[in-house]
Amino acid sequence: MRRLQSRFAWWAVFALVVAACGGGGGEATTTTEAATTTAPPATQATTTTAAPTTAAPQVCEAKIGLMAPITGPAASIGEEQRNWAVFAVDRYNDENGTNFELVEGDTALDPAQASTVAQQFAADDAILGVVGPAGSQEVEAVGPIFSDATMAFVSMSATRESLTDGSLPTFFRVVPHDGQQGPTDARFMVEELAASKVMIIDDQTSYSTGLADTTAATLADAGVEVVRESVSQDVTDFSALVAKIDDATDVVFLPWQIAANAQLFGEQMAEQGKDAVIFGSDGLFSPSDFTIEGAYVSSFAPDIRGIPEDAELVAAYEAQYGEFGTFGPPTYAATVVLLDAIKSLCDAGTELTRDAVVEAVRAVDQPTSILGQPIRFTENGDVDGGRFFIFQIKGGNYELVK
Amino acid sequence: MEFFLQQLVNGLTLGGVYALIALGYSMVYGILKLLNFAHGDVYMVGAFAGYAVLVAFGGPTDPRIPVVVLIFAMFLAGMAASGILGVVIERFAYRPLRNAPRIAPLISAVGVSFFLQNAALLVAGARFRSYGTAKMVDPSTGLQWGPLRISIIRIVVILSAVALMVVLHLLVKRTKLGKAMRATAYDREAAAMMGIDVDRVIVATFLIGSVLAGAAGVMVGLVFSRVFHFMGFIAGLKGFTAAVIGGIGSIPGAMMGGLLIGLAEAFSAGYISSTFQNLIVFGLLIAFLLIRPRGIFGVPEPVKV
Repeated sequence: MRRLQSRFAWWAVFALVVAACGGGGGEATTTTEAATTTAPPATQATTTTAAPTTAAPQVCEAKIGLMAPITGPAASIGEEQRNWAVFAVDRYNDENGTNFELVEGDTALDPAQASTVAQQFAADDAILGVVGPAGSQEVEAVGPIFSDATMAFVSMSATRESLTDGSLPTFFRVVPHDGQQGPTDARFMVEELAASKVMIIDDQTSYSTGLADTTAATLADAGVEVVRESVSQDVTDFSALVAKIDDATDVVFLPWQIAANAQLFGEQMAEQGKDAVIFGSDGLFSPSDFTIEGAYVSSFAPDIRGIPEDAELVAAYEAQYGEFGTFGPPTYAATVVLLDAIKSLCDAGTELTRDAVVEAVRAVDQPTSILGQPIRFTENGDVDGGRFFIFQIKGGNYELVK
Repeated sequence: MEFFLQQLVNGLTLGGVYALIALGYSMVYGILKLLNFAHGDVYMVGAFAGYAVLVAFGGPTDPRIPVVVLIFAMFLAGMAASGILGVVIERFAYRPLRNAPRIAPLISAVGVSFFLQNAALLVAGARFRSYGTAKMVDPSTGLQWGPLRISIIRIVVILSAVALMVVLHLLVKRTKLGKAMRATAYDREAAAMMGIDVDRVIVATFLIGSVLAGAAGVMVGLVFSRVFHFMGFIAGLKGFTAAVIGGIGSIPGAMMGGLLIGLAEAFSAGYISSTFQNLIVFGLLIAFLLIRPRGIFGVPEPVKV
């Protein structure tokens, strides 16, 4: 009898392990498939690398790669990024008579998988530049591969500060870095919200803990009392954590990636009668999912629905793909940067090589962009003059307050 | 004190949901000795079915029928969808493997789980969906006792979880089907020889377990508002943990185990640290497996000669 019991125990442990391993494995399988379908035969390379040098204008054509978390836990972000990248390429081709092609690579927000996709892209001579990857951890993983291949890669959402310390010569990003966001948010809490006690809850991702750390440091320097908590993105219920917010707490800072989680957090605060103000970051900017009245959100990208010049673009996108958050437009911007760079080579009659594309991206100088600001890069690949935007939710609308 | 009571209410809500999921695991294990890892995803499908009904009737901000009727319809849809799905899974993923080694249906279960997750991703997309309960029912209505607050939705969820468990208890203890289920769990071959239609009992077990999971899915949608394709994975693991701690195969065990896990989560987040919430829950699982592998209410397996 005892033997039977203990045998059951082993079974249960085994089953748990199978399930746990399965979690990762499943994603890998779906994505390998995506990766294989996106890797074109190498023979196609010959048709595109030869650049038109004759006087008669020829169609400028090239392939670019996209690396985004199309499946996996961050699929909601990846889907939006993918849609905006496809939208950008289609639109660019229509407007400029070019023939650019997007090759999709699914990273599932996993550095190991991102490396595999990066190697496939690097091995495909037809691919001249890459949009992405999305996560900072992925950029770190693929950096050496793309450096060796002199492949320009423009990220639309990787914000870790150290990425642009000069170690990745072919890396660019169209969004500002976290070193700017934490202090900006902390100063806003101190100066505008007169906070004296702040609860900071990270969501146990490297993005979130990093931002929580820099914000906490600035707050502590300003003499604000800081309480640190941390909660997994997978948690079903935040009410136990909400109950810990005391009356002295003015602000709850949530540097989270999933807006729906923060919405629940805010609703549970209302349920328990807590008055503190929620202050969120990037991922919480989502007019469809996060609508807690009076909450603040800082974002690496503006709400392009508030930019008059983008009205037509927004309408066209929404007609085709539906609503979107803040992760899509920077992807559009990154894609256009890359396409502009390649097209400038075509226009100048330069041979299309990866080396030339890197230099062309570095030389990009867009007086305006979908993000409502000029895009040009610093020596290390940061966007020049990048800034964070702080919004407050009033009557369900995101209003720019700083 | 009110902090303690607040955490108690939080724990009970979550525990009620885990208990309903754990019941499905436990009942199926009791009868088939199969860990149905697709169970968490059946719960996810239930949550989506409730969401579909919500959207079909105008969404949370502008419902076309009274809210009470709407919530009732959502429960019905969630339970029906999950129930049917459970029966279909049994028919196509487990019945052909009924006499295969035990590892085969286990792997089949994991496969079904991935299939359902990715099917939901394909159909519903990757975005988090929200029931938006706060827009339907003001979250501040409900019982208020000093600083302690219990929202009306929480009360509805706790009560309906209890009601479902009472119904299940009566069904198992008082009806002919219940008797057949207990007999089959005790000894499938002997039950068959006594003229019990074992296939029918197994189908009924899957149906009941899945219906409960569907109800749990709608409850989670109502209280915790977020619905997404991957939600079944972690909830399934928690339900499984609850079933093992309570004593897998035991119905009161699954209920107790669910409540215990819910309370452990709430109190560990409240008094220790939310960082270690999952660590504590799964630590509890390991502790039980080491010290008391048959769980709180587990009956030792009869040795067949």
